[in-house]
Amino acid sequence: MVIAKNIVKTFKLSRQQKREMGDGFQGNTIDAVCDISFTCQPGRVFALLGPNGAGKTTALRMIATMLKPTSGSISVAKYDTVTQSQAVRENLGFLTGNTGLYDRLTPNEMVRYFADLHGMNSADYNTRRDHLFALLDMEAFANRRIGKLSTGMKQKVSIVRTIIHDPDVIVFDEPTDGLDVVTSRNIVHLIRDCRNAGKTVIFSTHRMGEVSLLSDDLAIIHKGQLQFNGTLEDFQNQMQTPTLEDEFIRIVEQA
Amino acid sequence: MKTILTIFKKEFKDITRDRRSMMMMFIIPMLLFPLLFTIAAVFTTRQAQKVRTKTLVVALITNGNAEAFREILLKRDDLKIREDIAEDIIPQLIRSDSIDAAIRVEEQFDAQIADLQRGQIHLYFKSSRDMDASRNRLTSLIRDYENQIVNDRFQRLALDRMIVDPVQVRRHDIASQRERIGKSVGGFLPYIFVIMCFMGCMYPALDLGAGEKERATLETLLVAPVSKIQILLGKCGVIVLSGFASIANSFIGFFIAVMLQREIVARILDALQGMFEISSILLVLSLCLPLTIFFAAALMSVSIFAKSFKEAQSIVAPLNIIVIIPVFIGLLPGIELNAITSLIPVLNVSLASKEIFAGTIKLPLLFEVYASLIALAALSLYGCARWFERESTIFRET
Repeated sequence: MVIAKNIVKTFKLSRQQKREMGDGFQGNTIDAVCDISFTCQPGRVFALLGPNGAGKTTALRMIATMLKPTSGSISVAKYDTVTQSQAVRENLGFLTGNTGLYDRLTPNEMVRYFADLHGMNSADYNTRRDHLFALLDMEAFANRRIGKLSTGMKQKVSIVRTIIHDPDVIVFDEPTDGLDVVTSRNIVHLIRDCRNAGKTVIFSTHRMGEVSLLSDDLAIIHKGQLQFNGTLEDFQNQMQTPTLEDEFIRIVEQA
Repeated sequence: MKTILTIFKKEFKDITRDRRSMMMMFIIPMLLFPLLFTIAAVFTTRQAQKVRTKTLVVALITNGNAEAFREILLKRDDLKIREDIAEDIIPQLIRSDSIDAAIRVEEQFDAQIADLQRGQIHLYFKSSRDMDASRNRLTSLIRDYENQIVNDRFQRLALDRMIVDPVQVRRHDIASQRERIGKSVGGFLPYIFVIMCFMGCMYPALDLGAGEKERATLETLLVAPVSKIQILLGKCGVIVLSGFASIANSFIGFFIAVMLQREIVARILDALQGMFEISSILLVLSLCLPLTIFFAAALMSVSIFAKSFKEAQSIVAPLNIIVIIPVFIGLLPGIELNAITSLIPVLNVSLASKEIFAGTIKLPLLFEVYASLIALAALSLYGCARWFERESTIFRET
């Protein structure tokens, strides 16, 4: 489970960033995330929705302990992200659309490296690795350098890297961004599988199609503030426009 | 510790599969010295040979004087004497390389010599040409001729030549061959080693910091259950190893270069081998280790701050000069290892290495160098760790 309570993230702006904000902007800081709260339940998919620059990545980075909240608190699998960050990371998998891989390693080496960092023993690793490699049909390229693999193959390596340690919580930050249809489908399947396995799944996107396809709960974030937080059913029930996409645009424009 | 080792092993594997890193770690340091030595030896030998054997075209104007000297010149196979050139066009002909030099004997020369006075011979040459060969070779012939005249005069006056040479200086140099060579070569070597060390650290540091950021692999590492200090130590370990390997390979390269040079006189070779005894090498390497840690931490700090590999390169490029300056100062005459210079990073390694190779290092100063380098290494690692902990350093684009 992931529980975010009144989280705020304030960034100090550099001189160049201030210039980019325009003449009308006052002050030296900006709130990328402003007092938002939400809960993501195990066995459910939570979609964090928002246009570019809304604060989705910042929120997810706070969940993944890469950033510390300026105020508020987040607990992941009952561990606090600030005071128990190591324990949080042990129970977390994190995948982004542009996740980088080590081009000079092979998929086997890459996955083994992250298993070692998660402290997996050899027996557990071998069982899990064989299962995932077979599931994603990866044996054929398991010993080829990652740099020589296709985008789809790379994405499979990323997926295995993310879930090799069988985490309770999995975070996907715009996971299908820039990917082709076939590769995007792998991700969609993975998210469904994780939900069916009772994992807590959070994913951020700006594509409404993915939301209706996958999510159980959703939150809409814009300019760092929460505009909606509830189940997909609630959202559909209170829609004032014919489609999910139109409704999303309406909420964002209204904010 | 196990986690640091896991990160170290992965980074090491990654770096060893990178051709550019391998070039900086092995190929360049190992080839640099043999290449430099061979080029220098071939070039200087050929040039010296050319200068020694070249037939010089020399214009001679004696005005009917110094017949003995003229005969000496005409008999030489390595000179082509031309007596048909007018005095006023001599500078022009030398400048245009039509002739190599000219000798003009003054009209009153014979009379002045006969009167036991000083006669004048003018030598025209272009010092910028052929390592000043014309001047050197012709001056030597003029000196021989002058000696003949002096001997004649002593005979004529029935005097012993010793009366004009009353003091004989006998020089006794207490410095050993190793000391002399160590002080000169030993000063030059750290210049190469320190730069090699910096270059050896540079590429892996840029790749493991800014490179990881650019490839978006750092984010995945930050989400693994490892602390930032463990990541940093694992990465810095590989950078230090790379820098250190560059130094060690430079030593090997230098040793191969010395062994390949057959022209080196046996006693100089003995001194060089004495300089390179295992204790000297280990001592210099032990000085280089904290310096390498300092370079690794400093470069990693820059690398982790930069948004991209390119930006990191543009920040690191001027640092090369900052490193070269203290090493260069160490080459200047009169700069010695003392209580103050042993505290200045890089310069202290340069000066201490010189003393170690020469076998004249003083223990208290050596300890001071160690202490200052270890403190610097620890401080830079601490600074780098603090820097790496900052969100604004890692997520500068946010």
